[in-house]
Amino acid sequence: MTIQGALTILMYALAPFLWLIVAGVGLLVAVQLVARLRGYRTLHHRCKLASLASLAVGLSGLWWIPLFTNSRLGYVTTLFDWVAMAGAVIGLAFAAWLVLHPLTYLVRAPRYVRQKGTA
Amino acid sequence: MTRPLEPLRLDRRQLLKMGLGAGAAGLLPLGSLQASTLSTNARIVILGGGAAGMAMANRLSHRLDGARISLVEPRETHHYQPGWTLVASGVWSPEKTMRPNANFVPGGVEWVRQPAVGIDAERRRVSLADASVLEYDYLVVATGLQLNYHLIDGMSPDLVGTHGIGSVYASIEGATRTRDAINTWIAKGSGKGIFTAAPTPVKCAGAPLKMTFTTLSRLEDTGHRNDFQVDFMAPGAGLFSQPWVNDFVKQRFDDQGVNRRHHYRLSAIDPGARQAEFTFVGPDSEFTSHHELRESEFSQEGERRVIADYDFIHVVPPMSAPDFVRESDLIAREGSFRGEWLDVDIHTMQHNRYPEVFGIGDVIGAPINKTAASVKAQAPVVEANLLAQMQEQPLPARHNGYTSCPMITGIGKAMLVEFGYENDFDFLPSFPFIDPRDESWTAWVMKDRMLQPAYYAVLEGQA
Repeated sequence: MTIQGALTILMYALAPFLWLIVAGVGLLVAVQLVARLRGYRTLHHRCKLASLASLAVGLSGLWWIPLFTNSRLGYVTTLFDWVAMAGAVIGLAFAAWLVLHPLTYLVRAPRYVRQKGTA
Repeated sequence: MTRPLEPLRLDRRQLLKMGLGAGAAGLLPLGSLQASTLSTNARIVILGGGAAGMAMANRLSHRLDGARISLVEPRETHHYQPGWTLVASGVWSPEKTMRPNANFVPGGVEWVRQPAVGIDAERRRVSLADASVLEYDYLVVATGLQLNYHLIDGMSPDLVGTHGIGSVYASIEGATRTRDAINTWIAKGSGKGIFTAAPTPVKCAGAPLKMTFTTLSRLEDTGHRNDFQVDFMAPGAGLFSQPWVNDFVKQRFDDQGVNRRHHYRLSAIDPGARQAEFTFVGPDSEFTSHHELRESEFSQEGERRVIADYDFIHVVPPMSAPDFVRESDLIAREGSFRGEWLDVDIHTMQHNRYPEVFGIGDVIGAPINKTAASVKAQAPVVEANLLAQMQEQPLPARHNGYTSCPMITGIGKAMLVEFGYENDFDFLPSFPFIDPRDESWTAWVMKDRMLQPAYYAVLEGQA
């Protein structure tokens, strides 16, 4: 398999979902950009809600990823099945966190500004 | 006619450069490293624009400079046939399996939109339906195969979708109507379904089994599986070429309440009465891909016959090379493929009597290998050996019989079965982390999501 061949396969595999991928990446970049312009720093902002919500989004993958592939969770049986599923769930949770974490900052940003002003 | 490739001569400095560049080379497409082309004005005719023909058109157009390549393919639409079982099982929509052929025909290749009707191997000529003739210096036979529904009395592909008859092989419309016929049977809430296999080599030999398994899934989902009777009628003792998978499928059928009857072939059908006639073909007729049943043997008198009622029947027709190939001198003259399949060396893919002719795909006489996965493995072999033949060099590449069947064992799970000629069709797994003996979600996802993209990459000569 050549790299060109692998890219060709990837292109055909992703083509039906290109709009979804572009929309998702667009949302992520937009939220990150706006939040950072308003002072968001990943390690300085702490929000349990964002982390819990991201975890919930990731775990929801256990339900809809098999459905999305016309299958069911009961058929995820082999070690590699679970490695692949765990990778998908972790990736999903991380992507959700990259959106939700700065989003919670933006929602709370006016409060931060008020607190800074008061101080 | 043909100017051979210059042999590579490297001095020490060039070798050092190559060493330094080795890491970077790993990041480059292999295709670019193999991009050396052969200058030739040879006339090459490729018969058929299915998976095999299209892959060869793309590969040869990349490798040959100045060649006059003609691709003989009358159809405008390319069908992803490995997806038809998913269509007939109600998982995919039919539209998902169709793309315009124009998307895949490479530039510089003459697309002849005519069916071929004859091959004169002695005079190196191909006759077309419009009475025109194509002359060739080299011929690639990639016609696919012919569905011989007419060898089942009373059967015709037009009947698929009516009178409880299904047949996933017939066409994309046939696969869709098969889905509808299964839906009708399930909606009825009870009844008998008969699944059949053919007494000849067939394309995607796993398809009759997959159709049984996916239908069983759907019957089990109704919650009253016991109201349905499912029979599988096999013309031989086995169900699948690969021995381990054969045993697995038999055991699974038994576990899922499928009544197996062996050594019976579907010989006639009465659609109005919803009755099928099966003829006993004897215990010597092993159901492997080596069947030697000839057309005359399909209508022997005095055989033991069984009449079975059905509410749904899945018909798998006998198959052979297309008639115009069978009538040509390219057909096998002896051995188990005589009179039915193209006579090629199954390792070099070169015709056994006409060295300027190569075969690829479903049309060839080979014990296994009528799958798109086989085409993926065969195409580089045909490319390398055809180029060597053009340069009058020994043929460098050999096909190991690699084929693959994502054996769907239920809607949502599958086994990625890959095997080849050696050691009694031993497994040839591509991925060390996927055991071909395991039913898995991953194998299903590959079938459902990844194999179609890989197939299109094969068409483009990229995989």
